[in-house]
Amino acid sequence: MRLYDCADIIRSKNAGPFAVTIDLFFGDEERYRMARESALLTPEGVAAAYDVAVDRVKGVWWDDRIRAAKVSLMRWSSSTDPYCADLFGAHLHTPLAAGSLTGEAS
Amino acid sequence: MSGLPVEPVRLLGFVNHIAPSADVEEAIARAFEWGVDAVVAQGTGSDWGPYWLGSGEQVAANQAANVEPYVRAALEHGVPFVFSFGIAGGDVHLESCLRRFDEMCERNGWRPRVGVIRSELSRADLRAAVEQGPPVVPCAAGAGLADPLTVEDVDQVERVVALIGPEPVMAGLEQGVDGVITGRALDIGLFMALPMLRGIPTAIAAHAGKMLECGGLALEPGDSGRCIWASLDATGFTVRSPHEGAAPTIRSLVSHTFYERSHPTQEDNPGGTLDLSAATYAEVDGGIRCEGAQWHEAPYTLLLEGARREGFRAVSLLGVREPALLEQARSWTDAAEQATLTAPRFAQAVAEGRLRLHTRIFGLDAVLGDLEPHHAVTGHEAGVLVDVVADTAELAQEAAYYAFIRLFIGPYPGRKTTAGNAAAPLMPVVVPVSDVYSFSIYHLLPVADPVAAFPVDVTAFPRRVSAPSNPEVAHAAL
Repeated sequence: MRLYDCADIIRSKNAGPFAVTIDLFFGDEERYRMARESALLTPEGVAAAYDVAVDRVKGVWWDDRIRAAKVSLMRWSSSTDPYCADLFGAHLHTPLAAGSLTGEAS
Repeated sequence: MSGLPVEPVRLLGFVNHIAPSADVEEAIARAFEWGVDAVVAQGTGSDWGPYWLGSGEQVAANQAANVEPYVRAALEHGVPFVFSFGIAGGDVHLESCLRRFDEMCERNGWRPRVGVIRSELSRADLRAAVEQGPPVVPCAAGAGLADPLTVEDVDQVERVVALIGPEPVMAGLEQGVDGVITGRALDIGLFMALPMLRGIPTAIAAHAGKMLECGGLALEPGDSGRCIWASLDATGFTVRSPHEGAAPTIRSLVSHTFYERSHPTQEDNPGGTLDLSAATYAEVDGGIRCEGAQWHEAPYTLLLEGARREGFRAVSLLGVREPALLEQARSWTDAAEQATLTAPRFAQAVAEGRLRLHTRIFGLDAVLGDLEPHHAVTGHEAGVLVDVVADTAELAQEAAYYAFIRLFIGPYPGRKTTAGNAAAPLMPVVVPVSDVYSFSIYHLLPVADPVAAFPVDVTAFPRRVSAPSNPEVAHAAL
């Protein structure tokens, strides 16, 4: 299953001009567990999805109370780049959302 | 903190660069029935990118109009308002908002005394701080910023603002004014000021500020055009919604602590870190009770934002509907890029880095670029944006036109459209956009005194048009 299909809310946004943060919210415990146990939502998995070195990933965090995950990474094209195509970072979740949680081809 | 009991402090929060929702009047009335000690809104941010800070232009948000119902209520009830104004938050941005504020006061017959706090730094003061003080280091590691900041970086910057903390706002409120209006400011600091002045612990003031700073976005459903209310005391705070049809929930509040922050529980601020790792949220009568925030003191640093001019932008847009061309859209635009950048007339400017050209194909990979997994146009039409950044407007427009013509008449395999390859939706076909800026300064400036450089200028509004401004006051030594 793709992360896009597993999560209820996938929102990406600037966290300052140079970082993007992606908040993921899951509708039930089963889907939350599936995401939490996936290799995609690890620093290594995120780095692979964005084709960046793992040290560009600031972290992946989980909040059991609200069945949420948070992923933050340094932007490859920040709002400071004249050719930045996404000023608010609102679409930068796309490569992660397309990733597979179950190891199947997406 | 002393541990002595303190009176609750009630805040009504909203966002003043977003137009208020249609039911704002009744929401404000409801909040004042519960009790309000200050009306607070943020109106600055770096989210809009470096253009506004660099250019000195103002986002067309009409922040004065957005605060009008809130100011009316605050003045009627005799409680202060606290706003940051001007999006980028430089002196020129603040002033353009204050002129609208003048007009609003004039129209309504209001005569508020307002503590105005400018947060732009002069290049001279920043240069002195860089030369004489401790290193001014980047706030964002890995962003390619100068480490540490140099005098050359300061000399190249167009404009620099500091995100002032709660302390200058507290100094303003202590003067018994009707309101405080700042330039660029730490959002949560605006909300922290009155509670801290009244003895609320810093951790609780900061946690509440974090919940209120985006107005109704922390409610369910979230909407930044709505307002939000909280009552703070010595052990925590309770959040309520003044709007019918919106309510805080544990999920909405916890998820809001994630919003626009790179870490879910740790947030560095001037003078300390807000730590929400032990924060608790519980349903209480009519709202959500929040407790358990911690504040870890740290040396006081101001986040600086500075914009440097990078050139001038000109663009051209072409609409492509021809199937044979859509199949080879990328090679077609690559050829036009190449033809432009290698033209003898542009060679020197390209070699010197004074001319850059980029074609972006909407419908293919314009948003994600190299990360786009789909490598072909899948729809029946696409748009090509020719995007040129050069050191002068004339050079940018000339290169954009050159590229436009190559795209319009350039041959490609299987071409049937020999009179013209694409539709031109804009007139003029080359559009001069504006100067282009980058955030060249996004650094932390250590300061011993968070107030000294940001004095409060108590002003009676509406100001006379001819009233002399005194910018030197805002530029006292750091």
